[in-house]
Amino acid sequence: MSAAAYRRPRRLPLLAAALGLLTAAGLASAGAAAARRADGRITPLLYLPSGRYLKAAALGFDPILADVLYLWSIQYYSNYRIEDRYLYLEHIYRDVITELDPRYVDPYLVGALIMTAEARQPEMALRLLDKGIEHNPGDWILPFEAGYVCYNDIKDYGRAARYFEIALRSPEVHPAVRRFHAEMHNRAGDPRTSLREWASIWETSDDPYVRTVAWNHVHDLRVEVDITTLRHAIGRFVAARGRRPARLEDLVAAGLLDALPADPEGGAYAYDPARGEAAYRGSRILGR
Amino acid sequence: MPGRILAIALNTFREAIRNRILYLLLVFAVALILCAQAVSLMTVGSEEKIIKDFGLATIDIFGVLTSVLLGIGLVSREIERRTVYVLLAKPIHRAEFVLGKYFGLVLTLLVNTAVMTAWFFGLLVAKGIADAGLAKAIVLLFLQFLLITALAILFSCMSNPIISCILTLALYVIGHLLWSFDLLKARLTSATARAICTVFQAVLPNLSHFDVKGQVVHGLPVSAGDMAFAFGYLALYGTAILLLACAIFQRREMQ
Repeated sequence: MSAAAYRRPRRLPLLAAALGLLTAAGLASAGAAAARRADGRITPLLYLPSGRYLKAAALGFDPILADVLYLWSIQYYSNYRIEDRYLYLEHIYRDVITELDPRYVDPYLVGALIMTAEARQPEMALRLLDKGIEHNPGDWILPFEAGYVCYNDIKDYGRAARYFEIALRSPEVHPAVRRFHAEMHNRAGDPRTSLREWASIWETSDDPYVRTVAWNHVHDLRVEVDITTLRHAIGRFVAARGRRPARLEDLVAAGLLDALPADPEGGAYAYDPARGEAAYRGSRILGR
Repeated sequence: MPGRILAIALNTFREAIRNRILYLLLVFAVALILCAQAVSLMTVGSEEKIIKDFGLATIDIFGVLTSVLLGIGLVSREIERRTVYVLLAKPIHRAEFVLGKYFGLVLTLLVNTAVMTAWFFGLLVAKGIADAGLAKAIVLLFLQFLLITALAILFSCMSNPIISCILTLALYVIGHLLWSFDLLKARLTSATARAICTVFQAVLPNLSHFDVKGQVVHGLPVSAGDMAFAFGYLALYGTAILLLACAIFQRREMQ
């Protein structure tokens, strides 16, 4: 047998053929993937079962599964070409991602942001945040976010104040939350509580800026509270005596007030006996 | 450890570190841990959790794969290649052979886990997010690898590598699903059926005792009691499995 018959088979054509086939398969796959991307509706992850079942199937890898689904959700919900992308929004965040890892705070915050800013469903966001608050009792950012949704989107200031109160129970809470909390009481129609909270901030804060802001609120709220107190006393005086008081001091003499309140500058409130109305002599700082 | 077991263990370790599968797994693990950095850039919020989750999951997956893929062939391959006859012709007890093989793979896993942990902590230190609490999770994962290795060697003593692989992986899956027996028991009306469930729960390996990954990533404490329990559970269950493996191998006919 000749030496050529023993020559090892040449590998180059085989390698070249393999490389060619791999390139063709790669190009075909990339083309198909691009076509799928163009049709943004193809989203198999949307139809995942509840996180409770996924947790069982995850065999202890539920935290990383939550990470992967969270990363996917960010890409999916930031794709503005998908018009109906909010159909399974609550299922993905509330029933899947946060079910897999209930202590993972970021999905609650980002999910709530998408629900309010994009899907315009603040109540859905509050349901998600309520779940986060339940599973992360020491965290302040979740109740703060819920309070902000109530304040900014629903305009339910009493509910916002209740969420801010939960946030304030955390020792790590940001100081700004106290200011939100104080202001919510005022917007909810409770200026006395708001005044008490703002006064507390003014008395305890070391930050000159915060003290100035707090004082502005204390100033205007004190005027509002005092004028309201005087108006009620005048009303009761009129009801009892059948005439308006000649002076504000008559309210104290009649036992309707313990003492006349002084305005924030320490002066007396003005009184118009003809109209029976008390007024502040100065001007309100915040103009409300 | 008696000298003969140590000699077999060191030989098994030398054999294992020549195994290309080990290096392949290690390279993939190291690459995946580094990938965590890239993946974390896609998130909105804290990167820290994603890097830690990826790191711990990688150590877990590749540790289990190493335990299974190397463990299943430890005894059966020696029998297949007939190299076991050379060893057993010497004054070596069969149990010493099994234990030597086991401890050799334990040493391999120790080195493997140490390399992955060093990479992981290197990345965490570079990012400024290193957390000593994660070490507890890695210690418990290592204990899990020891238990899985014991199971793999048990099956390796009684069957071929493919069957051993399937059985070991099946027990790994079951070991993480034992809690589902509680759900089943709640639905069962028969006291006998509930008792059978309880027996299964007690007899099958409960790997959830070794899983605190989620806990440590969220900074939740892992009590000394939990750690001690995991060590105790491994000592009891692992020893029982190894004794069973020794008993099976002692009665095995060599042809």
